[in-house]
Amino acid sequence: MRRIAIVGASGFVGSTLVERLLAQAQDEVHPLIHSSGNAWRLARLGIALPAVDLLVPDEIDRALRGCTHVVNCALGSADAMVKGLQHLLAASRKNNVERFIHLSSVLVYGDPPPPESVHEEAQTHPAKGTYGWLKLQQDRMVLQACRAGLPSVILCPPNISGPYSPYLVRVLDALRAGAFALLDDGKTPCNLVDVSNLAYAIELALDRGTADGKRMFVTDDEATTWYDVIEGLTPVTGRAAPVSVITREELSRLRLGDSKPSLSLMQSLKHLVSSDVRVALRQDPVWAKVEQALGQGVTRLGKVVEERLRLSIAGPPPIPKVPRGPQYNAQLCIQQLRGVRHASDLAKQELSYQPLYTFAASMRAFCAWYRSQHGMDTGHWDLLKQLS
Amino acid sequence: MPQPFRLALVGAGMVTRSSHLPAALASDKVQVVALVEPMRQRAEELARWYGIAPAIVPQVQDVLGHIDGAVIATPNDTHMGIALTCLEAGVATLIEKPLASTYAEGEAIVKAGQASGTVVAVGYVLRFREDVLLLGDLLNVGYFGTVRRFAHQVGTRGGWAPMSSYNLSRQATGGGVLVVTGTHFLDRMLHFWGYPDDVAFADDTQGGPEANCIATFRYTATDTPCEGVALYSKTTELPGGLSIATDRGLVQVAELDKTDIIFRPYEHPQVEQVVRRCGTFSYPQEMSLFQRQLEDFVNACQQGRSPMVDGRQGLLSLRLLEELYTRRQALNTDWYQQIPQQRAS
Repeated sequence: MRRIAIVGASGFVGSTLVERLLAQAQDEVHPLIHSSGNAWRLARLGIALPAVDLLVPDEIDRALRGCTHVVNCALGSADAMVKGLQHLLAASRKNNVERFIHLSSVLVYGDPPPPESVHEEAQTHPAKGTYGWLKLQQDRMVLQACRAGLPSVILCPPNISGPYSPYLVRVLDALRAGAFALLDDGKTPCNLVDVSNLAYAIELALDRGTADGKRMFVTDDEATTWYDVIEGLTPVTGRAAPVSVITREELSRLRLGDSKPSLSLMQSLKHLVSSDVRVALRQDPVWAKVEQALGQGVTRLGKVVEERLRLSIAGPPPIPKVPRGPQYNAQLCIQQLRGVRHASDLAKQELSYQPLYTFAASMRAFCAWYRSQHGMDTGHWDLLKQLS
Repeated sequence: MPQPFRLALVGAGMVTRSSHLPAALASDKVQVVALVEPMRQRAEELARWYGIAPAIVPQVQDVLGHIDGAVIATPNDTHMGIALTCLEAGVATLIEKPLASTYAEGEAIVKAGQASGTVVAVGYVLRFREDVLLLGDLLNVGYFGTVRRFAHQVGTRGGWAPMSSYNLSRQATGGGVLVVTGTHFLDRMLHFWGYPDDVAFADDTQGGPEANCIATFRYTATDTPCEGVALYSKTTELPGGLSIATDRGLVQVAELDKTDIIFRPYEHPQVEQVVRRCGTFSYPQEMSLFQRQLEDFVNACQQGRSPMVDGRQGLLSLRLLEELYTRRQALNTDWYQQIPQQRAS
């Protein structure tokens, strides 16, 4: 009998996989969690849920003893994702794990991904420091471990849908808040994989395919558009208001606004002399005296000099523009610029993967879950929705 | 000035670290004389963190002659043993909610308190919120009209991770999200409206602590029948709050430490009234809820009165918890139900 360790078992994909494997009752399932706080979905099954810190090599080594297969669904800090995976791969090799399944992300190709990333062999170029960049570092580590003798499969999903999907909940929240707008009438591709389809692909990868560390896309394999997603959410959104539309130019501007500010010495200096920082420093009596003495010194130079000094350091007082119109969720909206449709051909060929559920079935399952979780079908939904 | 109340904190886990110990140290009414914790290192770290030097002992028996009261903040299924030891020695107890993991255990605690004439308080700390106190007063006098229906919900994706991970054990908690999260509202509901005449309950347990549940309550044996629903989740974010529909309007209170009561009268749909206490507050506004609870407990011990939430009230909550679990029906969790799989095998 196989003993399958699922690392990051309390997460969205990990929990679905554990539930499926337990239902099949063919393997010994060994879910490993990071913290008990997030493990309620699995805890309700009344199973043992040992906690493991991936940053502690001995802990992960002990946890993998006797395991024949390892599935890595762990997320976390950059440190946990890189160092943690390093420890996990080392422990897997040490324990002679027969197969290591790693979950990557389509974001390794960059955002937006290049048109040639229909297939896996496209060049990867995620921006440094992004989630996609971290996942690419992970893919390289897995490939290296594979070349060193750990049979590995890397599965590469897009956004994940289905019951419990945090992604669809974010889309739904944005729709309700009027923070989502459709590009090109919603005709742009939306790459999705239902969580059960992904878990099924993992199950297949546990014993099929060449396990050569190659990356494989896993999707629902349908020509789903953003319009379809919005339509699919109708049972939980209703049709209260039409979804806004946005042009490609507006979306590109949103994208620019979403980028992080660059490092600047002047910005740092301005921040240091800002009133917030000075108020905080004043809590310390020594700093308070120093600031008082500096302030008095500057005052003695005269009002004109004092104002010039302030202007040269802090600049004119910022007066923010009052925003007009809707405030869109940039992170979600700009995903419509991902024009490519990733193909699951390799997974079909290597794993004999065929999605278990269609996009429509997946959306129905999500809506059924969501309605139940929010009490939408109770006789008291009119009161409950006042709280949401 | 009276001598400070000599307090032992039993359990050096998360709630002690984040709430009970800071509350005790902020109060001039108590002196923390002991930390009771079988894992000595954990208690030593806690004492070092707060710069205090109490006695550190593995079991409460070791300090019984030196304390006036004990805060019991240990896994639910250990409450009874510790509480009985304290109460039989005449030591008052403030027990973290719920009072115990079963009604029978809770009953034993209450009886022991009565037999020794010692205070038993239960840590339903949210009762000390100003909005809860005010809402209770206003409902009592019919300020918002006659209550017809109510709905309460709290949902988080995960959350509280106690050091012992006892939250993952149904045996240790005595239940799941209903006990961990919902019991606060059940206590409030019992306080506002008394014990319901009929209840129904459904959850998603398959042997472990339930992660999601829904309870309904009916009050029929009254001139003004009403019904309500409570929805709790450890897998989904649900903005916490209480909605009450009366014959005059809709009352809404968010589950926040400091919040106002909102009233929307039906006859003026464009109006929203903010209802808050003015004049003298029940407690200093800057005082934490845990300090209010602790000082109420100390005052009850010193003045020979009942605490805000006494053992009998804690026992009533346990009765309701057990009745709900007894009536349990299974929530449907097969979200793909009736959706045929594409795959042939």
